[in-house]
Order: sequence, then structure tokens, then C-alpha cells
Amino acid sequence: MSLPSAGDSNHKHNWASVYGRFTSPVYRSLAVGWLLLAMHAVNGYGAEKAVEHTAASNSAPVSAHDIGLINVTQSDLVQKQLRDNWVSYNGDYTGQRYSSLTQITPGNVGHLVAQWVFHTGDIGGLEVTPVVVAGIMFVTSANDAYALDAKTGKLLWHHARPTTQGLIDDSARHHNRGVAILGTRLYMETDNAHLLCLDARSGGVIWDEAYATGNKNYGATSAPLIVKDKVLVGTAGGDDGVRGFLAAFDAETGKEKWRFWTIPGPGEKGSESWPGDMYLHGGGATWMPGTYDPDLNTLYWGTGNPSPDYDGSVRPGDDLYTSSLLALDPDTGKLKWYFQYTPHNLYDYDAVQTPVIVDAKFRGKPRRLIVTANRNGFLYILDRTNGKFLFAKQFAKLQNWATGIDENGRPISAGLIPDEKGVQVCPASGGATNWYSPSYDPATHMFYFRVLEACGIFTSKTEPFEEGRTYYSTGTQGVGETGKEYINAFDLRTLDFAWRDLQIGINKGWGGVMSTATGLVAHGDDAENFVILNGYTGKPLWHFNVGQLIRASPMSYAINGKQYFAIAAGSDVFSFALP
Amino acid sequence: MSGHRVARFIFCTMFVVVSTPWKAHGQRNDHIEGFRRFMEYCAGCHGDDGKGGSKVVSLATTLSVMTRSDAELTRIVHDGTTEGMPPFGQIGDANITAVVHYLRIIEGKSAATSIPAEAPVTGDVNAGRMLYLGKAQCSTCHMIRGRGGFIASDLTSYGRSRPADAILQAITTPDTPLVPSSRVVSVMTRTGLKLTGVLRYEDNFSLALQMKDGRYHLLTRSDLTDVHYTDHSLMPRDYGTRLTSKDLNDLVSFLIVASRSGRRDR
Repeated sequence: MSLPSAGDSNHKHNWASVYGRFTSPVYRSLAVGWLLLAMHAVNGYGAEKAVEHTAASNSAPVSAHDIGLINVTQSDLVQKQLRDNWVSYNGDYTGQRYSSLTQITPGNVGHLVAQWVFHTGDIGGLEVTPVVVAGIMFVTSANDAYALDAKTGKLLWHHARPTTQGLIDDSARHHNRGVAILGTRLYMETDNAHLLCLDARSGGVIWDEAYATGNKNYGATSAPLIVKDKVLVGTAGGDDGVRGFLAAFDAETGKEKWRFWTIPGPGEKGSESWPGDMYLHGGGATWMPGTYDPDLNTLYWGTGNPSPDYDGSVRPGDDLYTSSLLALDPDTGKLKWYFQYTPHNLYDYDAVQTPVIVDAKFRGKPRRLIVTANRNGFLYILDRTNGKFLFAKQFAKLQNWATGIDENGRPISAGLIPDEKGVQVCPASGGATNWYSPSYDPATHMFYFRVLEACGIFTSKTEPFEEGRTYYSTGTQGVGETGKEYINAFDLRTLDFAWRDLQIGINKGWGGVMSTATGLVAHGDDAENFVILNGYTGKPLWHFNVGQLIRASPMSYAINGKQYFAIAAGSDVFSFALP
Repeated sequence: MSGHRVARFIFCTMFVVVSTPWKAHGQRNDHIEGFRRFMEYCAGCHGDDGKGGSKVVSLATTLSVMTRSDAELTRIVHDGTTEGMPPFGQIGDANITAVVHYLRIIEGKSAATSIPAEAPVTGDVNAGRMLYLGKAQCSTCHMIRGRGGFIASDLTSYGRSRPADAILQAITTPDTPLVPSSRVVSVMTRTGLKLTGVLRYEDNFSLALQMKDGRYHLLTRSDLTDVHYTDHSLMPRDYGTRLTSKDLNDLVSFLIVASRSGRRDR
């Protein structure tokens, strides 16, 4: 592979190009002069010109770090190459988590060193992927948002909001996966399912919309997704008897524009699974960000397990649209198609894992694909233009709930039904993979993702829904020796696994994966190490002990040509770069 | 105290001594002592900015903290709370007093204030609103419930935690005390560029200035030839003469009433 030299920064794209223009002497001089005029226009403070720019020189930039103007445009959101900025949870709309930055290579990654650590004060368990815009990093910890200087990790502003009391299950753990940014505004979800719009320049609250009402078991843990002029949010609570939905809000006003219920109401298609008022408690939560194809104007969003988790007797049939991938029109919320990975799911196999958008040859023909490694132990390839099933392959070695996948993509059930005595099912309820991010590298053609090999004893007994209590209808416990974790590399050319890297550790790490244009794969391993591998071989090239559990997915960004990797671990955010 | 915090303290001490040697020295020293003790005993959970981590209360912005008297806060620090804050009686009364004093600084208040929930207002609230949005140009910089500027502090809850005379004083004699992150600072770069903005962050190695258009200048000290600390924020200091006493009373009344309808308590 031919690699650009170190220090290669892309000034052809979006932010970088805007900044690049303004650092040239002429433009900068003009800009400063314009700003000076603008300041005077709005100042009106008489003799005290508190903010003024003096263009005393028109030579080199102020410092190599002179960026910091937050303004995310539509072109930033639809960018085809992920470089200096990482503007959303997955960085871009594809969900590939593939950075085109090339400064850090297999040859020099061994020299990577920690640049800074930011301590959130969170008691632990950050699940955020940092967002970086123009050298400013945005992270969340529960209901708090922080803006940091991405070069130093120093705090620029902090929006504090107390955690909500009285929540249950996942929401009561107050996890939050991050922010979305449009223009100068930042959007985040709160533990009690409010959509907050903050001024990204100051952290001031512009509006605050409670978007999930009528059932106290709603909560939120995800990051919103911006599509055009709308902010898309889902909820948590799929194990607690909520009715799942995806909702779109006007980014300017906070007004709701549409809402797609993942559990059909009475008389709607699929309602035969939801007798009486069961549709109000059927789960199908939407607790991870989806992906978006601007060319097809289609939103792809995964849904969670049905509720109650382990008792299928109260929800006969397939339980649409749980454990499914939804293809929606982002303008109207209308369903274009759906694909259900695990019909009549009895094992808590959510399907919220990132539906990764891939344009690649499939069996020799260029196709528009969605690639997903599902919690149920199978990797799926779909045609994203119509939802047609193309391919599935079992990746979990420990898998006994299905005897296979049929030609339409429907699993062939092995008939394992949780009961009061308990039945052993693999994968365990935590899934053979989970929400931690996968990554696709179009250069290696590999799809990388974390695998958990484990089984559980599933028990079930019919119970009534009750607000304020979970709605699993009994539970699971581990069985056999502690599960093992792997990073898998699936090659889209051979439709087989290229390598499988065992993670020796404590089976508690839930670190996601990302890849870069130099063939690197970064992830948080199962032993509190941030690790960078050779994506072709799986061979570890570098690691750093962050000293805390990693339950988050990494990202990469650049400031003035210097590439960084960042990852949240425990209560802290870490950033790494070459010396 | 970590090296980082020692460095920051030394720097803070330095800039206070250098930039305001003639100021009320006793008061400044109290601030420094409070800062030191806060960082030593409180910041681990409540954060360097006092706004809390996600699972502890924000001391800087929570109404129920801001409206407590010094005596109540002293008792809480001394005895702890049933919600899980440990008692700090062992650090001694002098240190507790310093911490409570510093809490008032990060709240942006000069002293403890305890006000009734519905303090009477005597001015014309509508006239005050017109002033706020118009002639006095408050909304250019301040935000109330999502409307207004971003460069100055959010006033949504401001009037709820302060009596009218304290608000009046804050308008007519701003920056008493000066909130550190509101300070206006000018720097000169090695390339001869002068930048003046609001100091959002600083330490011995770097500082962040924010301009009125929102742009952050993330600067390295070694790139600077001069850093000048003013003794003020962006807040105009001539409201006492520009506005009549009726205007001021109307404005104060508006801020109090506007904050009552605010939904947020932080």
C-alpha cells in the first residue's frame, strides 16, 4: 500500500478547506477586519470595546492550533471521507467508522503516545464516542455535556444536568453515547428521554423536549442523528415494556415532525402479535443511532428485542417490528421496507448493532449493501435498495438457537423455549456481539467487529407488565466457563473470516472497533488496553493500558495535520498521537 | 494536590498578584484559599468547575445550593448528606469557611443570599423586558430560555436565586466578583497578532479565548509574547448612568419574573 507522508492533512474538504483559506494571509487579514467591524456593530458598549481583533500582522497563523469555529453544515454531514472532523456518533452516515487520515501508519504506530486525559467525574462506565468539530471535542457523561480543546483536553464549557431519579434498568445506569451537531447547535438525549438542544459555543440550553411520555419505563442512552433539518432520536426501555419508536424533531424549533412506532397499533400490519394492549409494551426500542444513505434518501435503523424478553406466549407470531432493520423515509418517517433478523425473539437479541452502509462487489457485482453482525450470532448482508436478503454466515462458535438461516434470511428455529426450569441457549443474552461499534475498511474489504462467545440458562414465567419494574418475564444466568471475546475480520471478497483475534481478559470489556486508511484497526480490548492492530493480519502493533474498563468505541480526528485517536474508558477520555 | 493543580494554583496566584496588586488583597487571598481547598477536597467529585460529574450535584448552578445560606452550606460540608456526600468536619472550620466562600465565587455571587420563592417585584416587568431586548441590549450576550446570545452567562434562572438589590448591584457594578471564565484577556502572538476575548480556560501551558462570534482561539503560551488580564468581563459598566433608576428597577423586575417561569433548575 502506498501511503502519504506523515503530516498529510486534507485541505480539500469542508472544514479543513475553510480553515485553510482563512489561514492564508490575505483571507485572514480580511476576516479579521470583517470580524472587527462585526464586533463594533453588535457591541454597543460605548467606550469599552471588550472584544477586538487587531490585524497587526498578516504573516503565519496565530498558532498551529488556530481553529475553533463551530459550524457543521450539510456538506460536512454528507462528506464521503472522514478526516479531520468526526461530526456524529459514527463519524459519518455510513457507520463504517473508517477514517481517511493517514499520518499514523503500521510503520510509526509503535511511537504513539498519550496526549491527554480528560476526567469527567463520572463514577464510571462512559459509553460515549467523542465528536470533534474544528478542533473542539464534545463528549457526554450521563446528562452532562463537555466541550474540550481537542489538542489539550482542557475544558471549554460544561453543561451540567443532574441525573434523573426513579428510572429503571439501562436508563437508571445513566449511560450516554454522545452528541449530534448541526450549525452551532449540539443535540443530546438525557437519561429520561429528553432531547436537549444546546448552543455548542457555550453549552447554554436552547430548548428541551421530553419526547417519550406515557410510560415511566422510557429512557434514553443513545446519541441523536441529524438528517437534513431533523434530529432523530429513539429510546431505551425495550426490556421494560415500552412501545418503541423513532421520532424526528425540527432541529430549529424542536417540534416533532414524525414518529414511527416500531410496534404496530391495533389493526395495523403485524398487530396480530400484540393482543389487547400488548402493543403498548412490546419493546422494539431504538437505542442506537442508525445510518443514512443520502443517494437513496433512506434511513436505516435497528430495533431491539420484543418485550417481555423471554416470554413469547403473550406475543404470538413474529412480533413485528422488533429485532429488525427498518428502512425509512427521513422526510416522512414512512416505512420503505424492513428485514427481521430474529422473528419471535426469545433470547434478548436486539438488532440495534450499526447497520453499516457498504458499496462493494458482492459475488462479483457492485452492490449497495448493508452489512451487520447481529447479536444473534449471524453476520448478514442485505441489498439496501430493497431489503433483499443476500447472505448470512454464523460467526458465533457457540450458537444453538437456530439450525441455520433459510434462503429468505429467516432463521430456522431449534425450538429452544425458555421455561420455569430453564433452557441453555447460545449466544447468551448479552449477544454474540452488541452495540459496541463494528467497522468496515473499503481498502482491506474487511468488516471488523467484537464477538462474545457465551451461553446462558434462560428461564421464563408469564408476568404482568407493571410500570416502574422491568419486563423481562424472568431472566438468564451464565453457564459454563466465562465467555471469551474476539475481534473478527470478515472479508467481503471471500465471504469468510480472515482472522480472529482472541482477547485475553476479564470478559467485561465492551470496546468498539474503528479502522483507518493505513490499514489500522483500533479497539478497546478486554483487559483495559487501547489497542491498534494490523487490519490485514490482526497482529497487535501497539497498546496502552488505560487502567479502566473500555465500554466505548474509538474515533480519530486531526488538527492542523496531526492525527489523534480518542477513546472513552471508565470515567475518562483519552487521546493519543505521534510525538 | 496533583502537579497539575499545583501548577494552576501557582499560576492563579501569580496573575492575581501581578495584575491586581492594588485590589482588595484580603478578599483575593480568600478566593485563592477557597480555590485551593475546593480543589483539594471537593473537585474530585464535584469537578474543577463545581458543576458536578454526572452523578453529583452541580454546586455552581443548582438553585437549591445557590439559595442556601452560608451557615447551611457550612453545616452540609461539615456533616455530609444522607444522599451520600461524606462529612468533611475533619478538615477544620477554617477550611470549610474557605470552601463555602469559594462556592459563592463559582456561583457568580458575592455573598450568600436567601430569598423567598416569590419575592415581590416593584418595577414594570414589560418595560423591563423591552429594555432587556432593546435599549439595554442584554439579550445580545445573555440567553434566557434559549433565546439570546451565548457569550455571556445564561440568565434563565438568575433571578430566582438573588434578591432584587443584588441583581441591581450586579447590573450597575458588574464583576464584583469577576467570574474567572468571564474575564476579558488580550494576548499578543509572536507573529504580532493581537487577540482580545473571553478567557474560557488557562493554565501554565495553554489558554482558550472565545470571540463574540463563538470562535475559540486555542492558544499555546509559548506562541504568545504578552498576556494582559483586564479586571472586567464583557458586561458594560455604564448601566448605572445610561439607565434611569426606574429603568433599572424595571429590568431587575423582569429578570426576577422571567426566571420564575423558567423550567430549569440548575
